[in-house]
Amino acid sequence: MNMGATTRRALAMAWRSLTRQPARASLGILGVAAVGALLLDMLLLSEGLIVSMRELLGRAGYDVRVTATEDLPRNGPPLHDVQGTLSTIAHLPHIRSTLAVRFVDGAVERPRGETLDVSIEGVGGDAPHPWNVLRGRDTRDAGEVVIDESTAMMAGVGPGAELILHADCGTGTEALPPARLRIVGVAEFPFELTNENTIGATLDTVTSACGSDKPDQADLILVTAADDPDAAVTAIRAARPDLAAASNEEVLGRIERTGFTYFRQISSVLTTITLSFALLLIAVLLTVSVNQRLGEIAALRALGFSRSRVAADVLCESALIVGIGGILSLPVGAALAVVLDRILKRMPGIPGELHFFVFQPTALELHLALLAATALVAALYPMHIVVRLPIAATLRDQVAE
Amino acid sequence: MSVRSALLVFVVALAISASPGRAETDRFPPVAISRQLAEARHLSIGATIRLSTDRAGAHTREFRVVGIYEPTPNPARLGSPDLEVRFHLPDLLALTRDPGTPAGSESMDGINVALADPADARAFARDVNARLPGINARPAAEATGSAGRFIVLRQFHLAIAAVTIGAATVFLLALTIMLVDERRETVGVLRLIGLPARRILMQVLLEGIIVAAAGAVFGLVLSLASERLINRFFQWRYDTALVFVRITADVALTCVAIAVPLGAAATVIASWALLRRNALRLARR
Repeated sequence: MNMGATTRRALAMAWRSLTRQPARASLGILGVAAVGALLLDMLLLSEGLIVSMRELLGRAGYDVRVTATEDLPRNGPPLHDVQGTLSTIAHLPHIRSTLAVRFVDGAVERPRGETLDVSIEGVGGDAPHPWNVLRGRDTRDAGEVVIDESTAMMAGVGPGAELILHADCGTGTEALPPARLRIVGVAEFPFELTNENTIGATLDTVTSACGSDKPDQADLILVTAADDPDAAVTAIRAARPDLAAASNEEVLGRIERTGFTYFRQISSVLTTITLSFALLLIAVLLTVSVNQRLGEIAALRALGFSRSRVAADVLCESALIVGIGGILSLPVGAALAVVLDRILKRMPGIPGELHFFVFQPTALELHLALLAATALVAALYPMHIVVRLPIAATLRDQVAE
Repeated sequence: MSVRSALLVFVVALAISASPGRAETDRFPPVAISRQLAEARHLSIGATIRLSTDRAGAHTREFRVVGIYEPTPNPARLGSPDLEVRFHLPDLLALTRDPGTPAGSESMDGINVALADPADARAFARDVNARLPGINARPAAEATGSAGRFIVLRQFHLAIAAVTIGAATVFLLALTIMLVDERRETVGVLRLIGLPARRILMQVLLEGIIVAAAGAVFGLVLSLASERLINRFFQWRYDTALVFVRITADVALTCVAIAVPLGAAATVIASWALLRRNALRLARR
């Protein structure tokens, strides 16, 4: 008899065993679905943040980031002598274009008198701006700004309107006069933090709003490489050893090494616990189920069913419970991932477009492999019971009962 | 107002080296370094180190290590090694001051104030804010800048716990249905000899409570054992004294308050369907 026919018969038998106890089978499948959903989410979480950050960095189009220290931008000290630094970097080999970015906090006046807190990105250089214009046009001259959708909505302004900005550029700038700026467009900012209102302008505009004439300070220099980003990083490091230059992969490495490694650890711990939980409970379900049917199994063996055949029945029963539960776990896991992602994105300091749970084919493959292994391992003990079952003694016990 | 903090914590990008000549080093300003920095650079008390605020190591100044301390655990810096140096404030200002900045005009990040009566913290902060415009005074309990991140993590863990409880409940129900089914004949006989369904249900409920309570206690013992294991692993992994898992009385009570009623309810729900059946049908072979 070929293997396929045996498997089909074992599956049919296992299906009949399950449907004979619908409540028990449904609860087992639902349990696997819930555990499987959690398992899938933990697998998505283990790499999600890095995958999402890599996609975000790649989409921004810059290859190298230069800061004063290895701290993330906005967390470390600023770069000084920006014009000189830009000029030095721009003339290095492997460099296509550069852009200095300065982040400043501020508040804009709203029509009813109250103010709206904003974050201002001032940029200077020949690389593309780190925002995408949705309406209107991009900034060209000093005094022009683009704003994000939330600022446009909350301040009730749009392209063509005037904006009064109170910039907070650090110690000693509390009493700066307000700057009158002209809105020329509405843009999206890929690295905008959750619940942040952002304004984009030229470095000159921001410098002027900060009460200075000369744009000599920035938080970050973004560089696009002409060819190999690693060669560009090496060139920058050689020319300016006092600065911290990092390629996108190095930035991701830093993020992986620091705070976000927590999510990978919690994912590993919860994956282990979830799998152990599923394994234990499916094994118990199958063992109790087999123990309740010992007489029936002994009768089948007496009728000529081989040991491997009854073992295959148990394995197929396990595979059906885990398989159906596993399939159900995919939509449940996807829905749960959306909810959990929404919770984690409330974390302060996280770019709005960054996601913690990102679908990857490898995570799905691992999920299926782990569930398959769980089905197999959970069936081992009940399979052992049916294989070692003494036929005559079991039938005699059943008759005696 | 008494200024308590004469020391500031300052993390520097440094050129560090140990050098001999202890008699000469006594003239160098004293600093204390974190245990992690001491281990990373093999420094000990009495060593001389050169510090600079310049990544390239230019304009260094020499200091004498007079102490090694365990940094206060900071969850916001998890994963970053605590490579710290503590200076006397005048030494730190001398090291970081721009050449054009006259001494005494530097800025500081904060001043920690110890009050005679800590209960006055809120009133004191209000008073300072009113008298000194441009200064933001806050009670220490409210100055938790990164608390938002941990509130979100707490919500995330609660959501995970809710899903786990849901999955556990489903499995528990499946198991109790099977266990109750095994006792179908016993229940049928009890009904036939005259025990009312309510009496049997009460017995099942008590049994469920006892089993659930035993399970909850076992779970708590397991948690207490794993608490130490998890903390030790993460403290080793991140080289920190932070406590990651702490099973408080509140947490333990919450677990018992969820587990015991849930276990008892699952037993009763599983038994209820059985008890509604005819006693003869239950007892028949």
